[in-house]
Amino acid sequence: MGKILIVDDTLFMRTLLKNILFSGGHTIAGEAGDGEEAVAKYKELKPDLVTMDVVMPKMNGIEALKGIKALDPNARVVMCTAVGQEQMVKLAIKTGAKGYIVKPFQAPKVLEEVKNVLAS
Amino acid sequence: MSEFEAYRGLFVAESRENHENMVKNLLILEKGSDQNAIDEIFRSIHTLKGASASMGFADMERLCHAMEDIFQLIRSGTAGMTQELGNLLLACSDVLEQMIDDVEGGGDTSSLSPDKQVGALKQWLEDLKGKPEPTKGKGKQHKKEQASPAATPAGKPTDTPDTGDIPAYTINITVANECLMKDVRAMIAIGNLEALGTIVSINPSKEAIDAGEFDGSLVLQIASEAGEEALQTAAMGTEIAKVEIKPVVKQERIASEDTSAAKKQAATSDKSREIKNLRVDITQLDHIMNLVEDLVINRGRLKQIAEQHRIKEMNEAIGMVDRSVSDLQNLMMIIRMIPLNHIFNRLPRVVRDVAQYDSKEVEFVMEGGETELDRSVMDGLNDPLLHLIRNAVNHGIESPEVREAAGKPRKGFVRLAAHRDRDNVIIELIDDGAGVNVEKVKKKAVEKGLITQETADTLTSDQAVELLFQPGFSTADKISDISGRGVGLDVVRRSIESLKGTIRVETTPGKGSRFELLLPPTMAIVDVMIVRINGKRLAIPISSIVEVANFKRDTTHHIGNGEAILLRDEVLQIFWLNEMIGTSSVCDVLIVIQYQKRKCCIPVDIVEGQQEVVVKPLSSFIGNTRGVSGVTILGDGDVVPVLDVNTMV
Repeated sequence: MGKILIVDDTLFMRTLLKNILFSGGHTIAGEAGDGEEAVAKYKELKPDLVTMDVVMPKMNGIEALKGIKALDPNARVVMCTAVGQEQMVKLAIKTGAKGYIVKPFQAPKVLEEVKNVLAS
Repeated sequence: MSEFEAYRGLFVAESRENHENMVKNLLILEKGSDQNAIDEIFRSIHTLKGASASMGFADMERLCHAMEDIFQLIRSGTAGMTQELGNLLLACSDVLEQMIDDVEGGGDTSSLSPDKQVGALKQWLEDLKGKPEPTKGKGKQHKKEQASPAATPAGKPTDTPDTGDIPAYTINITVANECLMKDVRAMIAIGNLEALGTIVSINPSKEAIDAGEFDGSLVLQIASEAGEEALQTAAMGTEIAKVEIKPVVKQERIASEDTSAAKKQAATSDKSREIKNLRVDITQLDHIMNLVEDLVINRGRLKQIAEQHRIKEMNEAIGMVDRSVSDLQNLMMIIRMIPLNHIFNRLPRVVRDVAQYDSKEVEFVMEGGETELDRSVMDGLNDPLLHLIRNAVNHGIESPEVREAAGKPRKGFVRLAAHRDRDNVIIELIDDGAGVNVEKVKKKAVEKGLITQETADTLTSDQAVELLFQPGFSTADKISDISGRGVGLDVVRRSIESLKGTIRVETTPGKGSRFELLLPPTMAIVDVMIVRINGKRLAIPISSIVEVANFKRDTTHHIGNGEAILLRDEVLQIFWLNEMIGTSSVCDVLIVIQYQKRKCCIPVDIVEGQQEVVVKPLSSFIGNTRGVSGVTILGDGDVVPVLDVNTMV
C-alpha cells in the first residue's frame, strides 16, 4: 500500500483513479492538474508513486516525468495512457517511467500495475 | 454503467469545457495555422475520448477517436486545415455537444449515432491517403511525439557474450496475449532487468521493439549478480505471462555501467499550489441564495422589532448582524456572477455559420466578455442575443457584391461589446450593414394591418423603427433557417424586459444598425419605494420612478374613458389601482413612472419609504398576475406585491 500522487488535467479522471486506488487500500498523497504542478507536488509530498497523464496543458506528462526524475531518479511513475499512444509511452519508459495503465481504466489492472511498480 | 453514475455531473461539466475549448480553437484555426490551437484541440479531443471511454459511452468515444486520428495528422503537419475539413469537424463537435446534452439528461449517447460523421472523417482520411504528401516534414512536427531511437545505451545484440566473473542468464519473456501495448511491456521488463545488471544480447533488438516490431516474446542475455530470483521478479510484471530463466555457462567480466543518473536539480518553483477553485452544484448555490434572502427578510423584521421596543443592546447587536448579512448578501451576489464570455464564446461559431449559409463575408469582434452578470440574467440573455446576432448577419450585412457596389469593403463588420455602466450592464451590437429601410418597414406594417397608411405617413423614422418590435412583424421576405421562424424582435424585446432590461435600436440607412441592451446585473434584489393605498402596501421599483408629486383631485381632466393630469407641461395618464387594491379616498401623492419613453402616474395615499427587497416570483398556480412581478416580505412580515411597471404603461 502506498502514498500516491495523481496527475491528470481533468477532475473526472482524477476522481475515477482516486476511487480505484482507495478501493485498493492506497492513500492519496495529493493531486495535480498539470505537469508543472506535478513536479512541485512531487517535491513537496514525496509520494511513493505517481500516476501521470500524458496529454496535459502547460507541461505534458513526459516533461513532468523528466522533472520528477531529475528530483528523484528512483521515482516510481506510472503513465496513464490511451490506445494509440504507444510512441509516447515508449518515450516515457525510456525516460524512466516504471509502468503504464491504459484508459479506460479497469480497476484490477490499475491495482495490479500499481502493486507491481510499488514492489519494484 | 451504474457504477459511473456518481461521475456523470463531473463528466458533463468537464466535457463541456473541453468541447467549448475545441470549438473556440477550431475557429482560430480557420483563420490560419496556429500550433497552439492545434495542440489545444488535440488535447481537448483526447480528453473527451478518454473520459467517454471511461464512462462507457462507446459512440462518443468512437467519434472522438476518429477526430483525434485526423488531428494527429494535422498536428504532425501531414495534413492541413481546409474549410471543408473545418465544416466537418464543427459538425462533429455539434454531435459531441448533443451527446454531452444527452448525458446531462441521464442518457448514454446511444440514441445519437455518429456513424455519418465518423464515416465522413474516415472518408477524408482515405482521400488524404490517395493524395501525395506534399507538406510532410515541413517543420510543424511535434517534437515530443517523436521517439528518438538513439536513446538506447545498453543492449546492442552481441554474438559472443563476454560477462567475466559475473553470472549470466538467458531469459525468455512472454507478454500476455490480452496486453494492449505488448512492446511497451517488453520495454518495461527490459528496463527493470537493466537496473539489475548488464544486458549482453537481446532479440528482437531494442530498436526493433521501439519501432513496434514485437510479436509478444523476447529472449535476452544478462550479466547480473542479483540472483535468479531477483531477475525473475524484475522481469515479471503486469501483463507478463511467462518468464523463463536459465544460467549461461560461459562467464566473463563486463564493466559494470554506472547506472546512477546525473543528479540534476530541476529548477522548479518551490511554491506548492493549493486548491484555489472549487466547483459547486448550481442548485446548492441557489439554495444558499434563498437562505440569504430569508436572512435579509428576517433582518428587516428584527430591525423593526428593535425599533418598536427601543432596546439599546439589541439595537447594537442587530447593527452587527446587519453588517454581516449585508456583506453576505453582497458576496452571494458576486459569487452568482458569471462572465458574459459564457455565452459570448458560442457566438463566433454562429456568425460563421450564418455568414457561410448566406455567402457573406463577416468580421466579428467581441469585447468586454469579462463583464459579469447574475446567472439568472445570463440564462435569459442567451436566446435573445443569439437572435440579434443572426439578425445582424442575416438582415444587416449585405452580400459582398452589394457592399462593393455601395463602395463598402467586401467584408461586413459586426461588433459585440459589453461594459458595466454604474448599475447596469450595457451590451451593444453594431453592424455596418444596410441599416433598417424605414420605408420598407412602414409598407410592411401597413400590409400587415399593424398601422394605417395615414399613420404611416406621419411616423418619424424613430417611430417606424419601433414597429420592428411589434408582435408578428418581420421584414425578411421569406423565413430563412437562420433567423428563426416567425420569431421576431418582439420576442427579443419581451425576453429582455422579463430580465428587467431594455432594448433600443438606432439605425442609419446604408451605414448600419446599433442595438443597445441595458440589463441589470442581477434580478433578485431590487430597490423599491413602499407606498400605501387604501391601507394596503405596494412596492414600486425605484428604477422606474421618475418623480413624486403632490396630487389634487380637482386638477384632473377626463379624456375619453380615462383620466389625465397636466404636469410640467406634459399630459400624463392616471392609473388608478382600484381594481388591484380597492378605492381610496385620500390619494394625496402622485408617483410618476416611466417605461421606455412613455410615462404615466399612479395616485397613492402616502409614501412609506425606500428599501432594498428580495422579489420572490409568484407561483403559476395564481391566475392573472398582470401588473405584479412578484411579492416581497417586509420586515414586519407583511407580504407586499411588487408592481410590474412594464406591463402597465
